[in-house]
Amino acid sequence: MAENLFNKPLIRVENLFKIFGENDTKKPTVNAIDNVSLEINRGDVMVIIGPSGSGKSTFLRSLNLLEQPSSGHIYVNDVDITDKNVDIDKHRQKMGMVFQHFNLFPHLTILRNLTIGPEKLQGRSIKDAEREGMELLERVGLADKARSYPNQLSGGQKQRIAIVRSLAMHPDIMLFDEPTSALDPEMVGEVLEIMKDLARSGMTMVCVTHEMGFAREVGTRILFMENGRVTADGAPDEFFNNPSNPRLRDFLSKVLQ
Amino acid sequence: MSFSTMLYTMGEGMLRTCAIFILTILFSLPLGLVIMFLRRSRFFIVRTITKFYIAVMRGTPLMLQLLMWYFGPYYLFGMNIRGYRFAAIIIGFSMNYAAYFAEIYRGGMETIPQGQYEAAEVLGYGKAQTFFKIILPQVVKAILPSVTNEIITLVKDTSLAFTLAYNEMFSLAKQIAASQTSFVPFVVAGVFYFVANYAVAFTMEFIEKKFDYYK
Ligand SMILES: Nc1ncnc2c1ncn2[C@@H]1O[C@H](COP(=O)(O)OP(=O)(O)OP(=O)(O)O)[C@@H](O)[C@H]1O
Ligand SMILES: [Mg+2]
Repeated sequence: MAENLFNKPLIRVENLFKIFGENDTKKPTVNAIDNVSLEINRGDVMVIIGPSGSGKSTFLRSLNLLEQPSSGHIYVNDVDITDKNVDIDKHRQKMGMVFQHFNLFPHLTILRNLTIGPEKLQGRSIKDAEREGMELLERVGLADKARSYPNQLSGGQKQRIAIVRSLAMHPDIMLFDEPTSALDPEMVGEVLEIMKDLARSGMTMVCVTHEMGFAREVGTRILFMENGRVTADGAPDEFFNNPSNPRLRDFLSKVLQ
Repeated sequence: MSFSTMLYTMGEGMLRTCAIFILTILFSLPLGLVIMFLRRSRFFIVRTITKFYIAVMRGTPLMLQLLMWYFGPYYLFGMNIRGYRFAAIIIGFSMNYAAYFAEIYRGGMETIPQGQYEAAEVLGYGKAQTFFKIILPQVVKAILPSVTNEIITLVKDTSLAFTLAYNEMFSLAKQIAASQTSFVPFVVAGVFYFVANYAVAFTMEFIEKKFDYYK
């Protein structure tokens, strides 16, 4: 049974479409995702790259239904989460997400940011949640900030907290949407380090990022998106060393210089 | 009439004034929340009706509204309105203040970034949990100064209950002033409103300080 589960993809996306403005005649329609099908396996560290507006964020946000797909299916552990009868809140607890702008809860202490989910949503005891919360804070070197509030932290520190806030829920997969784009350059490294550690620990990850160093170092699979489609999908070596797609070559030459 | 008799008579009015104030706060604060949700409904028709309701509540004198609430049931449905006076006052005040509070809440809701909802959602919070655990505490902080303003206005507005011949404190002050040809009742009334509002401001400042721990 367990073995069986491991052979199956964690996430299977089938013929996914997202059309913005389809129900509003006053707005132009945008095919943000245009027929994407793929599988994400346990342990994959998938890095999504592509030009602005190519649908990277929309794709990522579809995986936990922050965007409702226009059509297509998304199976998580073989359960179709686009099915209206599925309890999406339960599934989201198992899918962590880290945003560009952190989105910490400003009215809660750092420790409370980490414990409120496990306590209120997973019924763990406050003691247990706090013990694990402190362990996670140690892991990212911010144990001394447990009683601080988010506005007292730097951007890099906030993002590290946002990552462990997700980890506190024991997710099966972590989604990252440009987690370092809003940071001052000197803070990018500390966040990437945490993400690399996470990747090495075997966490399944999907990251939208422009950090090519990160992609090369820990990525197991790179996706190139343009105009809502996935036009290249491969291991980092072949992807970076001899890209066959001319627009990908063009894109890489711009971001790598 | 001695000063102490006068104070005693007016004291009864003060109790009635306080009753109007407390009951109005008790009903209008939560009712405003309901109206705010209706105002933000995704159904066009619900939104439109609520918008119209708020426009009427804010666009007509409270005095007129009190008369409507009290005499409306009689003129429209021929109902017996004896003994309904106090209820009409509380309904009138609550419905009016709820409309103002609803708009204050709505303004507060708009200060909360979309990212807060999304962060709560991806942790697995449902809609109600997100609202009460994550959004509402932040909204309360944002709207406290406007709510204070509104409550201070309410303290002074209680005197409008005289419209329905209800003997709240200021009605009594006017009666005593006329019968005794004395200015003193007005001074007492003024001191009462001032002290009451001082207490309101003090309390609200205390609550604001409680919320000062972040941002
Ligand atoms: N809520 C929305 N309403 C309408 N159009 C949208 C919405 N969100 C995204 N789009 C459009 O969908 C397309 C894909 O957007 P998306 O944000 O997924 O791109 P992206 O690859 O993440 O870009 P970037 O690198 O700039 O973040 C764009 O054309 C965008 O304008
Ligand atoms: Mg994006």
